[in-house]
Amino acid sequence: MKQSVVVIALFAAVMAALPGFLGDNPYIADILITILMMASLASAWNIVGGYAGQFSFGHAAYFGAGAYTTSILLTTLNPGIPVSIAAGVLVSCVIALLTGTIVFRLRGHYFALASIAVAEIVRLTVLNLDITGGAQGILVTKVSFGSLDLNSKVPFYYAMLFLLLVTLGISALIYRSRTGYYLLAIREDQDAAASLGINLYLFKNIALVISAAIASVAGSIYAVYISFIDTSTVLPLRLSIEIILTTIIGGIGTLWGPVLGAVLLVSLAEALRSNMIGEYLVNTGMVSEGSATGAFLKSNLAHAHVLVYGIITVLCILGLPKGILGFFRRKGEA
Amino acid sequence: MLFFQSLISGILIGGVYALAAMGMSLVFGVMNISNFAHGELMMLGMYMAYYLFTLLNIDPFLSLLIIMPLTFVFGYVIEKTMIDRVMDHPSENQILLTVGFGLIMSNSALLAFTSDPKILTTSYSSSSIALPGGISVSIPMLLSFLVTCILTAALYLFLAKSRTGMALRATSQNREAAQLMGINVSRMSAIAFGTGTLLAASAGAMIAQTYYIDPFAGHIFLLKSFTICVLGGLGSVIGAGIGGIIIGLAEAMSSAYLSSDWKDVLVFILFLAILLLRPQGLFGKKGEQ
Amino acid sequence: MKKKLLEIISLSKHFGGNTAISNVSFNVEEGLIVGLIGPNGSGKTTLFNCITGYYSLTSGSVMFDGHDITRIKPDKACRIGMVRTWQRVKPLGNLNVLENVMIGAFSKTRSAGESRKIALAQLDLLGMSELSSNTAGDLPIGLKKKLELARALATSPKLLLLDEICGGLNNTETLELMETIRIIRNNGVSIVFIEHDMKAVTGLCDRIVVLKSEQKLVEGTPSDITGNHDVIAAYLGKGYKHA
Ligand SMILES: Nc1ncnc2c1ncn2[C@@H]1O[C@H](COP(=O)(O)OP(=O)(O)O)[C@@H](O)[C@H]1O
Ligand SMILES: [Mg+2]
Repeated sequence: MKQSVVVIALFAAVMAALPGFLGDNPYIADILITILMMASLASAWNIVGGYAGQFSFGHAAYFGAGAYTTSILLTTLNPGIPVSIAAGVLVSCVIALLTGTIVFRLRGHYFALASIAVAEIVRLTVLNLDITGGAQGILVTKVSFGSLDLNSKVPFYYAMLFLLLVTLGISALIYRSRTGYYLLAIREDQDAAASLGINLYLFKNIALVISAAIASVAGSIYAVYISFIDTSTVLPLRLSIEIILTTIIGGIGTLWGPVLGAVLLVSLAEALRSNMIGEYLVNTGMVSEGSATGAFLKSNLAHAHVLVYGIITVLCILGLPKGILGFFRRKGEA
Repeated sequence: MLFFQSLISGILIGGVYALAAMGMSLVFGVMNISNFAHGELMMLGMYMAYYLFTLLNIDPFLSLLIIMPLTFVFGYVIEKTMIDRVMDHPSENQILLTVGFGLIMSNSALLAFTSDPKILTTSYSSSSIALPGGISVSIPMLLSFLVTCILTAALYLFLAKSRTGMALRATSQNREAAQLMGINVSRMSAIAFGTGTLLAASAGAMIAQTYYIDPFAGHIFLLKSFTICVLGGLGSVIGAGIGGIIIGLAEAMSSAYLSSDWKDVLVFILFLAILLLRPQGLFGKKGEQ
Repeated sequence: MKKKLLEIISLSKHFGGNTAISNVSFNVEEGLIVGLIGPNGSGKTTLFNCITGYYSLTSGSVMFDGHDITRIKPDKACRIGMVRTWQRVKPLGNLNVLENVMIGAFSKTRSAGESRKIALAQLDLLGMSELSSNTAGDLPIGLKKKLELARALATSPKLLLLDEICGGLNNTETLELMETIRIIRNNGVSIVFIEHDMKAVTGLCDRIVVLKSEQKLVEGTPSDITGNHDVIAAYLGKGYKHA
């Protein structure tokens, strides 16, 4: 526990100082914010998926519920950012509890399936309602928070960093508490866990609600950050899957795995999207620009990041089922 | 009249849902795996039908004769090379593997065919039979329903009468016992996955005239198939058949009497309601958890 | 007359058309070790599953410490002081031995430090201290069974339900374990003990219940049982010699 506190504090110090070194390059800032956001989402998912072993395939629902609730409030009643974020958390927790209440009585594949169904219900409902702007989405403008300049990326960097630190803190606390041990027991064997006095239903719901609340805050911050949301940016199944992949690739069930996964995957996606990899292959002469392969790679690699995710996932599951960190983790460190 | 029109459309589309869901249910029953790449396998069938028609001018229903063996082999090989290796892993790993495989398929399709939706138009694509009372029955949907009935009957006979079919059912009932009885359960898994792939791709090929064909077209059918499988009792092939018709009807009725915007929502709410009230499915045996 | 801790009253359990247990009744008095024996498939494990809430009963009822617990949930069963082990062991495979036992101990304390203390003491009692940091899933079967016991004990139960805990142990180890179980009993824990090893059962138990073909065949002291012709014919068979 003490060790985790020290590492988290070090990480906080380095990350807090980072913008000072990088200057205000908006491109880099945007990537860093995305990394922090995916790290928070993956860490949040890790609490219910990695610790309790309950794979949610619908975390976009909580992210989106936060984003939408906050945006709607800010553009209508405008009760201020903190209240709008809190309202988002409330909505997400209600959705999480409804889901958990229905499916956590069941074992096996049901939670995975039901979590997708709930996420789709949320997405389609948002798409069909008027208050959410339907397919048009919501433009979140004229938002202010004290004297902060919300046109700058800096406040959002620190907001996401703060969220990530809180998430890591919560994860570390849970991991070493009775709740954490109970979640691990549930992951390992539900019958055994119940025979040792663990209320499976209660603890799975606790894990899901904590996780949903964090994802919701990430959604709220994101909505204010990009000032425009629609269902394809904050509620797609693709996002739910990316959150899982980030955790798996970094190391499921570990404190730092989700962070590592976010750094790797966001950077990789960015490198592909900006065609850095395609150009690198051509520039280093590994493939010639004139050749068919070269032309194909250069025009297509930019769209291939999800394909690459897919390949990495398959290789990870077949090769190292515990993820990169899980693979190297010392066994038995109680 | 609206009622009868919806009834007929619901049953016709329900047949295709049923076909896709039966493939998923078979895989689930025999292998105890939720196949998240099932929608992509349907997408594969859609593109195969599209290109066989546009390049070789083969009618989509005739092309089933080519698509079925090819996709069976494809599924068989995928099972042998990938899924077989995670058969004794936790179910989350199996799910993720199929998710990853699905992403590879859909995004490869994206690179190969771009995201522009394709439309398969045959001479009879938009023709329909007019029944008394102003009810119209789309010819392609009617044909798909008939072919679905034939395939379902064939699947039923295969499972009920053939040696392999019986071995599949035995494996589905109790994998360990089947193994003890000398059934090669690993081969059964591959056959089940091959057959599941074949059924999904056939369903895809048959609706290729009715839906836009794009790399992510299978997505919505994945969720529908899951709903149908749970409705019919996970692993019950017959249950999936009936469940498909029920979902088709529910959709058609809700489009007619509520609004088509909400029909998918209704399907998923139905799904949750089943989990809450009757998790073993409408036709599953009530047993110990 | 000792207080009845567990009362099983006309318990029956059917699986579809199959009867696994038919109208079985017996009591477990406080401070006793009750042996439960019977051929394979006679319903012993099913009985545990019914008592602890993993299966719902077809008919009958169960009382624990004077309360009706017929429809109890498994976790509640543990919290009121009745804990079971699994014949098909269920280690928390990726956790280490200490963590496994700590999870049991958490039913009595919320503090991780406290539960670690309880767990370490429990492992010490069973002579498993040096295994603390071994991964539970990697233990040999005999030790996994012992871990089942350690974990269950860490919940400080009033009643311990042991399902073939000696499997995978050699003779000396079995004798040692019997001794440990006697100590546990002397510390005030009542025990129901399913076992195949007749020597273990007759040597250890105060009373024995014999199940046969889903029904209770007879119940009595070890000497009653070993002298009973029905039992000898039905269960003990030729292999068993009078001690
Ligand atoms: N979940 C179950 N479903 C169906 N039958 C079961 C189930 N559990 C146990 N049985 C049946 O109950 C009977 C008793 O089994 P069991 O309690 O394991 O016996 P024992 O522990 O005495 O060897 C057996 O015939 C077994 O097949
Ligand atoms: Mg048994």
